[in-house]
Amino acid sequence: MNEVLTGDVLAAFVCAVVLFCLGVYCLLTMRNLIRLLIGVEVMTKGVTLAFIASGFAGGNIFLAQCFVITIIVVEVSVIAVALALIVNAYRHTGSLDIRELTKLKG
Amino acid sequence: MDALQTVFLTGVVLFVCMALFSRDLLKAAISLGVASIFLALVFFHMHAVYAGVFEISVVAGLIMVLFIAAIGMTRHEAEEKEKRWPTYLLPLVLVATFVLAYIIIFASGMLGHYSGDVMDTFGKTLWLGRTFDLVGQIGAIFAGVVVVLTLFRKGREDE
Repeated sequence: MNEVLTGDVLAAFVCAVVLFCLGVYCLLTMRNLIRLLIGVEVMTKGVTLAFIASGFAGGNIFLAQCFVITIIVVEVSVIAVALALIVNAYRHTGSLDIRELTKLKG
Repeated sequence: MDALQTVFLTGVVLFVCMALFSRDLLKAAISLGVASIFLALVFFHMHAVYAGVFEISVVAGLIMVLFIAAIGMTRHEAEEKEKRWPTYLLPLVLVATFVLAYIIIFASGMLGHYSGDVMDTFGKTLWLGRTFDLVGQIGAIFAGVVVVLTLFRKGREDE
């Protein structure tokens, strides 16, 4: 195993994997649209933590921060657009259940 | 391992679990914000100051406000009841992701091998090394604003 892996970095990687798993589990099992978006957000948290831990371990924390800031900016756009879509879907269907969106009309 | 780091990481996982498994959506959104604050503390602890500031101001601040606004606009009497969750799925996903992470990060020796030069300040890295990322970020923000405006304008016309 790589010698740059300290206890802190390893713990951060394990935490990142756990966060990613929790997000995937949420996406696979839940039906509420807002909760699904929370799952996406949790997955992103796992990815950003992995980036920072990797940068910390590799001695290039500045580059890792650049990537994380890009991820956060893109994440904000994605969340804003998705929430706007959810509010519109709620106005049409009266529900936040994702199964209500299976009957789309052109 | 540093005790402070352990406390912060445990806080992140705990509040994320609260966000995912809480029945009330408002509590879930607030828990997500608190988890972001803990994550920012982890970033600070790993000397990623700028990422920590972004995490607190944008993720814990702006995104939480967006979530709360959306929950306020969609709240109704009968909350959707989630069906029984297949609990066998979580350990399966966990094991699969750990195996994948081990293969990708550790076994392949990719850790710590960034391409490009190591610059001495964050400003140089961002402005000189990742200039096109900034263009992409501006594009993403612009696209997001345009889409949100379009969606809500159409919503008003429908009413």
